[in-house]
Amino acid sequence: MSVTSESLPASSGGSPSRANLWRALGAWLTRSSVYMPLLAIGTAFVLGGVVIWVTSGSLDTVFLAYEGLLRGALFKSRGLSESLVATIPYIMLSLGIAVGFKAGLFNIGVEGQFYIGAITATWMGASLQGVPAVIHLPLTILAGAAGGALWAAIPAFLKARTGAHEVITTIMMNYIAFRLTEFLISGPFRDPNAAAVQTPRVAPNAELWSFHAIPDRLQDPLNALLVGVVFAGLAFVVARWALPRLARRYPGMGWAGAAQTLGAKAGFAFAVGALAFVLLPALTRLAWPFTDPYDRLHIGLFVALAAAVMVWWLLWKTTVGFELRMVGANPSAARYAGVSITRNILLGMSISGALAGMAGMMEVLGVSICRCLPLFFSSGYGFDAIAISLLAKNNPFGILLSSFLFGAMRNGADLMELNSGVSKYIISLLQALVLLFVAAPPIVRWLYRLRAPAGREESTAVTRGWGGQA
Amino acid sequence: MTPALQAIGITKRFPGVLANDHVNFELERGQIHALLGENGAGKSTLMNILYGLYQPDAGEIRINGQTVTIASPHDAIARGIGMVHQHFMLVPPLTVAENIILGQELNVPATRPLGPLAVLHRREASRRIRELSHQYGLDVDPDAYVRDLPVGAQQRVEIVKALYRSADILILDEPTAVLTPQEADELFVIMRGLAQQGKSIVFITHKLREVFAVADRISVMRAGQMVGSLSPAEATREKLAEMMVGRKVILAIDKEWAHPAQPLLQVENLRVMDDRQHMSVDGVSFDVRAGEILGIAGVQGNGQTELAEALTGLRKAVAGRIHMAGHDMTHAHTRQMIEAGLAHVPEDRQKHGLVLSFSVRDNIVLCQYYQAPYARGVELQFPVIEDYAARLVHLFDVRTPGILTAVGSLSGGNQQKVIVARELTRLLSHHPEQDGVAPILIASQPTRGLDVGSIEFIHRQLVRARDQGAAVLLISAELDEIMTLSDRIAVMYKGHILATLDAATATREQLGLLMAGIVHGEDGADHNRSSIHP
Repeated sequence: MSVTSESLPASSGGSPSRANLWRALGAWLTRSSVYMPLLAIGTAFVLGGVVIWVTSGSLDTVFLAYEGLLRGALFKSRGLSESLVATIPYIMLSLGIAVGFKAGLFNIGVEGQFYIGAITATWMGASLQGVPAVIHLPLTILAGAAGGALWAAIPAFLKARTGAHEVITTIMMNYIAFRLTEFLISGPFRDPNAAAVQTPRVAPNAELWSFHAIPDRLQDPLNALLVGVVFAGLAFVVARWALPRLARRYPGMGWAGAAQTLGAKAGFAFAVGALAFVLLPALTRLAWPFTDPYDRLHIGLFVALAAAVMVWWLLWKTTVGFELRMVGANPSAARYAGVSITRNILLGMSISGALAGMAGMMEVLGVSICRCLPLFFSSGYGFDAIAISLLAKNNPFGILLSSFLFGAMRNGADLMELNSGVSKYIISLLQALVLLFVAAPPIVRWLYRLRAPAGREESTAVTRGWGGQA
Repeated sequence: MTPALQAIGITKRFPGVLANDHVNFELERGQIHALLGENGAGKSTLMNILYGLYQPDAGEIRINGQTVTIASPHDAIARGIGMVHQHFMLVPPLTVAENIILGQELNVPATRPLGPLAVLHRREASRRIRELSHQYGLDVDPDAYVRDLPVGAQQRVEIVKALYRSADILILDEPTAVLTPQEADELFVIMRGLAQQGKSIVFITHKLREVFAVADRISVMRAGQMVGSLSPAEATREKLAEMMVGRKVILAIDKEWAHPAQPLLQVENLRVMDDRQHMSVDGVSFDVRAGEILGIAGVQGNGQTELAEALTGLRKAVAGRIHMAGHDMTHAHTRQMIEAGLAHVPEDRQKHGLVLSFSVRDNIVLCQYYQAPYARGVELQFPVIEDYAARLVHLFDVRTPGILTAVGSLSGGNQQKVIVARELTRLLSHHPEQDGVAPILIASQPTRGLDVGSIEFIHRQLVRARDQGAAVLLISAELDEIMTLSDRIAVMYKGHILATLDAATATREQLGLLMAGIVHGEDGADHNRSSIHP
């Protein structure tokens, strides 16, 4: 969604009036890619309201229900942070599904990959003790990603080798994953000292820090070092992105030279990292907004945000993504261009599974009260993620928004039920309606008398025929 | 005599385009009226208005002298107008009869006890279909399944479908685009028969040869306007081409004598199977030298597709050898071949040549996106790619709103230009002297379905590639194309190359006989090659 010059308010007619501004905003909105999803969401809520009205027999219930939903999702104590806690796995899983879709693969197996990622991460987190976080935490994250990736690679291999359709095999792999984790938790990997059936607790250094615990965590210099390294990495990326643009904008100011040498970027990165290392422990001690010890929001949020940027970069800025999208959009043309279909099926599924596995990892390391994997560890996140990904049209940044929508609804549902007596399962109805309208844009266009967009959008086949990779 | 169909002052405006600008069109009873024009000239818009798919902004339509409003295709059918679309509207798993009565099955007599719920009148329908196909010389079996029929037969089903609905006026939208020359000739015979029995036919095309073969009257459209209407006697190919394009068109390509050098592509005894495990290329050998065009003539389906696929790494060769610039490439991967200098204009541009949802920019680097300078490491270098794409779009005159436009929204001719731009530019960046890298171009049906202007352009590009030292293999079902462009012509029949002729001396008749599999034997008798070859 870009703001073109013509859609900006016309300032030629004297002082810009408010009507002009609104019109310009409207014009921008109708042309932007969030327009149709917004209409779909709005329509779903109106229809959902009608359903509540009809079933409860009173219009007041509708407002009570939506008021409760909104308050539960955002304004009650810890409402916003609990919504974000649910948003994090949604983001990761939907990103996984989006990568699959872009490569022409319908990965329904994210739920299973989520479980496998959770168990491999728990294993890595629990089996090492006393290793500093700067090593242990990245290792555990990687273990979760690797578990999910390997689990997803099995159906990918079957598809590439035999043409077995991934929709069928990933569903079957889901059940295997559920039973396998149950077996591991209750058998070989059970914590013998715990009363409940659960795995051992992960080492404190492998946990994803809660926001309220960050000042305490940073008092350990090794933890501060981890943060310093992360900040240095971020600074490096920013420098790499910004320097060539500065050089183009202001030529002859030495930017071009800096853009080309590694030293300038590395130096900048080192400086930022060192500053973070030195200052952050003290600063967070002085003032820190998150003090509630029951607040579950954790730094996985940053991992999820970074993952969204990484997926966007991978899909649209790299040769790897170019190949994946080519295979997804037209495998025959990919073969013509000399791209290996097999390799990209394996790669696409593995990346998809890695993201799903990381979601499972974060639930254990950041959310689970016992910081372990209990026997009854059900999420249902994976299936919602398919809807989220479709709502966002597989756009990583759209996924951030739609994940928050679904996370907020999931979190607000309880207060809605309490407030109005409307069953919280009405949320599922709302989500189904959103999905219906997103999947069938002609319905929305017909409702609002909109014209079909000119030209062809970049489309993704949700799934192709059963005949393998033809 | 009042004309069967008259369109007077038809105007149709779409956002940003005046698709029909006061168009007049007249169709006499029993006439075959060819409507010529480039892609986007407004032919289809006019026909869609006559068929009730669009409403005109101005103008009137008269059928047999009576002014009518055609609000929907249903209306059009009721008034005796039938349309055969370029892409058939058939249901493959149903039989011919079922397809034909589809949508009409509810027209049962009201006296029947169960009304619409009653049994389908399949037998009655079959009988009428047989009658119709007999009357008009259309060979259609009502009980055959559509999925089993070849394209030509499917088209006949579409025609019968229109006749079954009592059409007196038939609109055929580019009916020959999907046909082989032989099938097209059969279609012309059918059209003649229909016209003789009083049906009136509008025949939309952009192939000049066909117009002369079948039309009684020729109308030409350009940029939404009717440029003129004339009889075949008054028309010449040059005149029609000029009317269509709006400027003089060189139909015959001027080309210098070839200066062939060393062989770049050598094929020995190649054998390739098709998808049904049938040996469709059966022992083919030939050389293509730097600086020459070798044309492969032949009726479609004689192994040309599989040959091209084997030469480009898309299909495994069962036996034989492929050498490129002296290197054995028989079992090479497509990417290795591309890196060895191979360029390929594929037969099916939408399936193989382009990713329709990708932008023009991305399609321009479809084979090179991973190479310097288009990528550094894994990162695509968009400024470089965009400069390159903009340059090619300009050089090859691709008509596109911009390089970020999806290729799928361009016209067929411009899509093909994107492919030709990409492949030729890549091809001519190689030099024959470079070790192991040789410019070889495989062009399969490079101008299929294109308009005159684009055909002329692409032909010139192929000759330019030859003149710059590329080895060009041209595979085409269009004999005219083969004869104008090639330096040597090989004729393919049932997986064999029957003969390789010098293009300077080969005649149309000679090639036609070879394409039909008839080899002139030494004793003067004609042999059918397939009967003497195991």
